[in-house]
Amino acid sequence: MEELYPTLKDMLKESIESKIDKPNLTIYLILKNQIKGNIAEPKEIIIMLKMFGGLREDIPIDIGIDNEIQRIALKFQTEANFNKIQEIMETIWENTVNMLIEVTKGNFNIINDIPDVDD
Amino acid sequence: MTDPKAIENNPFKELGKIPELRFKQGYSVHSTYIPMRDGVKIAATICLPNGLLPNDKIPTVLIQTRYWRAMELRIPFRWVLDEVVTANPDPEITTGRGYAYIRTDVRGTGASFGIRRIPFSEEEVKDGADVVDWIISQSWSDGNVVSKGISYTGTTAEVFSTTHHPAIKAIIPGHGLWDSYTDVAYPGGCYDLAFMQMWSFLGRNLDLNNPKVFRQIMPSVWLFSKGVKPVDTDCDLKLFQDAIDKHKQNQYVHEHALDRNYRDEPLPEGTTYDDIIFNRKSRIEESNLPMLIWCSWYDSGYIDAAIHRFLNLSNPMMVILGDWNHGAGFPANQFFPKRVHVTPSPRERINAFMNFFDKCIYGKSIESKILYYYTLAEEKWKKTKIWPPKGHMYQRWYLSENFILSKKLPENDVGEDDYKINFRATTGRLNRWWTLLAQPIDYQPRTRMDEKLLCYTSQPFEKDTEITGQAIICLYLASSHEDGAIFVYFEDVDEQGNVTYITDGEFRVIHRKVSNEEPPYKILIPYHTYSKEDASPLIPGEIAELKFGLHTTSVFIRKDHRIRIAIAGADKDTFLRYPTDGRPTITISRNKTNSSYIDLPIIENKNNSQGV
Repeated sequence: MEELYPTLKDMLKESIESKIDKPNLTIYLILKNQIKGNIAEPKEIIIMLKMFGGLREDIPIDIGIDNEIQRIALKFQTEANFNKIQEIMETIWENTVNMLIEVTKGNFNIINDIPDVDD
Repeated sequence: MTDPKAIENNPFKELGKIPELRFKQGYSVHSTYIPMRDGVKIAATICLPNGLLPNDKIPTVLIQTRYWRAMELRIPFRWVLDEVVTANPDPEITTGRGYAYIRTDVRGTGASFGIRRIPFSEEEVKDGADVVDWIISQSWSDGNVVSKGISYTGTTAEVFSTTHHPAIKAIIPGHGLWDSYTDVAYPGGCYDLAFMQMWSFLGRNLDLNNPKVFRQIMPSVWLFSKGVKPVDTDCDLKLFQDAIDKHKQNQYVHEHALDRNYRDEPLPEGTTYDDIIFNRKSRIEESNLPMLIWCSWYDSGYIDAAIHRFLNLSNPMMVILGDWNHGAGFPANQFFPKRVHVTPSPRERINAFMNFFDKCIYGKSIESKILYYYTLAEEKWKKTKIWPPKGHMYQRWYLSENFILSKKLPENDVGEDDYKINFRATTGRLNRWWTLLAQPIDYQPRTRMDEKLLCYTSQPFEKDTEITGQAIICLYLASSHEDGAIFVYFEDVDEQGNVTYITDGEFRVIHRKVSNEEPPYKILIPYHTYSKEDASPLIPGEIAELKFGLHTTSVFIRKDHRIRIAIAGADKDTFLRYPTDGRPTITISRNKTNSSYIDLPIIENKNNSQGV
């Protein structure tokens, strides 16, 4: 599985398109690969932001998921929250892969401050 | 860096060049439940090569696991990877080479139904045949099935042969056990508490689909996965929940083993430790299936298991023994701790395995037995048709005064060394036992560790010497207590005094009786039954003979290097403590009457083992 890591970052960047609609405080994630079944549950988006994006607080996000066109819309009530998530999204795929590389090397500390995300 | 010579010469290349891929467009993945003879549903994930035409017929590689056949990935991984990604690059190579690749959850695990009381139960084994019946009834199947695996899946591949299903053509059991009592649960009669506890904990949480626990012990799995993948057709997950509920009745090895000590104490369903593999010997042989067996010098007691297969099974086989960790995820050669890549790479290894399967299905299968082994420090692959290799002889080294290891028999009438057991002694959590959890292996720093142990060191060797096989140690030992354990580490000491772990042996003193009975399978070391009847507690203060084998190795001791044996009474991060209470002092005799020694398996004429 580790041999995937060098290409995983590019796979994520190439397969997930982010679109920013600042006037409407909305971030879209558009999935280019054909996904079997539902693309995500709203809760999974929050978990992803917490696990791999470093989000440490609960912020209100209106999450709309369109399985037909494989698009996720993250709508925010405040510009501050919008900016926060926009910043996270800029580096999230790099962080994701770096985290995997580090834990595989035995650096488990890197996941220490991830909050409890599992039911 | 990996040694270029080792890359050049590794025996996986003996299986032929990698052919051009038959299918180059990736593979599809789907899952289903396969009904067994008793109605239990087994979850299966099927990968088929893209581009397979309606009339195409292909063979199948079957993997039967207890560690989740497929994972429900977290996002974002689910958006770019498939559910068998953790097996990568296995499905990609296998399907590309023109095979179907199928992974099942064995009964009582993953998304499969059924209850699991012991590993590798007869029902679990029979399921393999039912799965094969289903496979060969599929429109794409050419009627041939092969199986392989590492560790648990290696053993399921091996016991799969006992079904004698005519569709099964070859098996590759990698890093598998042979004698569950001595290879893993009670090496030398000492309970491997760390592994047994952790494996049971891991198993229970896998079976209850509780990935949360992996955050602590396998964070990469936790980051990737939300749990086991339900079967595609189970849209409302009702079947999945039913299956998981059933698993609450499962039982785990630690529950059965912790309060027991003896090989002959029964396990559930009327089984014993002997029933896992070696009691199935004749059924494996009757299959006459060709086998490719592979393992590492540093893997628990599984290295001895690989040797025992070679010694005891009549099946045509190729055995490969190298220098990696359990499962070959990491290099483990303690003489070269800075190496970062395993030789061969997983891709090269899997392709070699596919070459083996191709030979067995389409070409001329192997017909005899051959064993390839890597000699540590010499960094050389060799092959042999017999074990121990030609030129094998024992060379006796005596524990002598001033903590010297000498070839000269002690002449003094009196001579003994006291050692108060240090229960803080440990080989850490990156040793040959913890690697069963796929951990890397690192025995450093041995120099510091040896300060806590009773050590005997030789003079510098006058010539290069190959040691290949199982060393046997004989200690004349008295103790202040009736019970205890002895751990013997065999080490190389270079000109600068750097100490390198080679192998070890462990033994609980109450099992010391060497039996005159015929062992249940051929072994090359003194036979201890580990039975309740033969248990012989020490009489405090009275000298007893303790004679046992170390784990098999192959190492090259260079001229001017020295060898050392380091004796401990505990390995606190791995084994249960013996005795439970108290701190024994042991006295090891090293005199004319009671001359403790170690017999080292020397290969006298190096030219007898052919280089690869």
